[in-house]
Amino acid sequence: MSERPTAQELTEAILEFLGGEILPTLTDRRLRFRTLVAMNALSIVHRELAALPVGDDAEQRELARAIRAGDVPPGTLRRVKAEVQARLRIASPRYLESYDEASSE
Amino acid sequence: MIAEMREALQDVLGAEISEPMLLAGGASKEAWAVDADGEPLLVRRAAASVIHRHTLSLADEFAVLEAAHEAGVKVPRPVRYIADLDGREAFVMERLEGETIGRRIVQREDLAAARERLPEQMADELAAIHAISRSAVPFLHAASLERMVEELDEVGEPHPAIELGLWWLREHRPPPREPVVVHGDYRIGNLVVDEHGLAGVLDWEFAHLDDPVRDLAFGCVRAWRFGVPQKRLGGVGPVEPYLERYNELTGLEVGLDELDYWELAGNVGWAIGCLTQMQRHLSGQDRSVELAILGRLGAEVEYEIVNLLERFAA
Repeated sequence: MSERPTAQELTEAILEFLGGEILPTLTDRRLRFRTLVAMNALSIVHRELAALPVGDDAEQRELARAIRAGDVPPGTLRRVKAEVQARLRIASPRYLESYDEASSE
Repeated sequence: MIAEMREALQDVLGAEISEPMLLAGGASKEAWAVDADGEPLLVRRAAASVIHRHTLSLADEFAVLEAAHEAGVKVPRPVRYIADLDGREAFVMERLEGETIGRRIVQREDLAAARERLPEQMADELAAIHAISRSAVPFLHAASLERMVEELDEVGEPHPAIELGLWWLREHRPPPREPVVVHGDYRIGNLVVDEHGLAGVLDWEFAHLDDPVRDLAFGCVRAWRFGVPQKRLGGVGPVEPYLERYNELTGLEVGLDELDYWELAGNVGWAIGCLTQMQRHLSGQDRSVELAILGRLGAEVEYEIVNLLERFAA
């Protein structure tokens, strides 16, 4: 499964933010140095992610296309829910937890 | 820039203007606070890029604000449209006192009494908005569910949960109602609230012609309950008094099923909105971590969509 922004695209956005908006405001030399080191570390992650194989979203595309065409067999909702849960466990685990807690009350 | 703006405002308004203070610098609009001969005003001015293709120009937004004010809706008093304020389009309106941050409206302890009044007050204002004469705002266009599909296709990423929501909306469409002037973004975060409750309705840039129930249900979307999800109307209260009051004022007899339908539509619209915001970052139009991360946080809205569908099917 692949999702946008990809992990690589997210690290890129953070690097731009740190370099463009945070770094210019830092006057403390030690903090400035440590921020540059942190950005360097993040650049390593960024390049390492770039070397990974591209995620495959063919299955998602096929499912989305089928639903658009009105082909919604029983079990589709359960399948889609499991897929969203898997994405939320990465993107927003606390939301998933509090949502399910609130529903079971 | 600040000095130029102050001078320009002084000329246009013919009043002594205090130094403009930037309140919020959104991606699409700036908001500046100034006092004109001591009177608190707010200047809404275009920023570099446009948030959304389907938003109104500042000139049209000002005209809608005037029409709403004329119709007796609680809004900041419109003061003046300015085609060129230090190089950009702007308008000036009254600066209302009160809380405008959604999370604080929902959670501030000293607003507890105000929150109790909000459901009925929100119905009062919405009924007044829906009664605005279409001839007062002839430039407004009609929106449709189909446009959401177009926007999703422009993003081009597969999202089965959103597709499932759209499919359900196509299959269960209630009989259409006569389109009215709608606010288009009627939720807690776009209100001014003081200790007496609703003091003003802000942010008219999404105004258009539409099914009134779509507008009515928008404030129920879970993403805008600000940490109090059990209170369906924007985290401030139950939906029943809101619905009853709205029905009483408009005679529309909207039922809970119809509200469910449009609440789902609101969620589908916002799930797609998250993706179009992300696209602004990815395309380079407006690089920002906040926009980028919405692409991932949209999964929260998709989770609400599948849960609503599960409930509807039960």
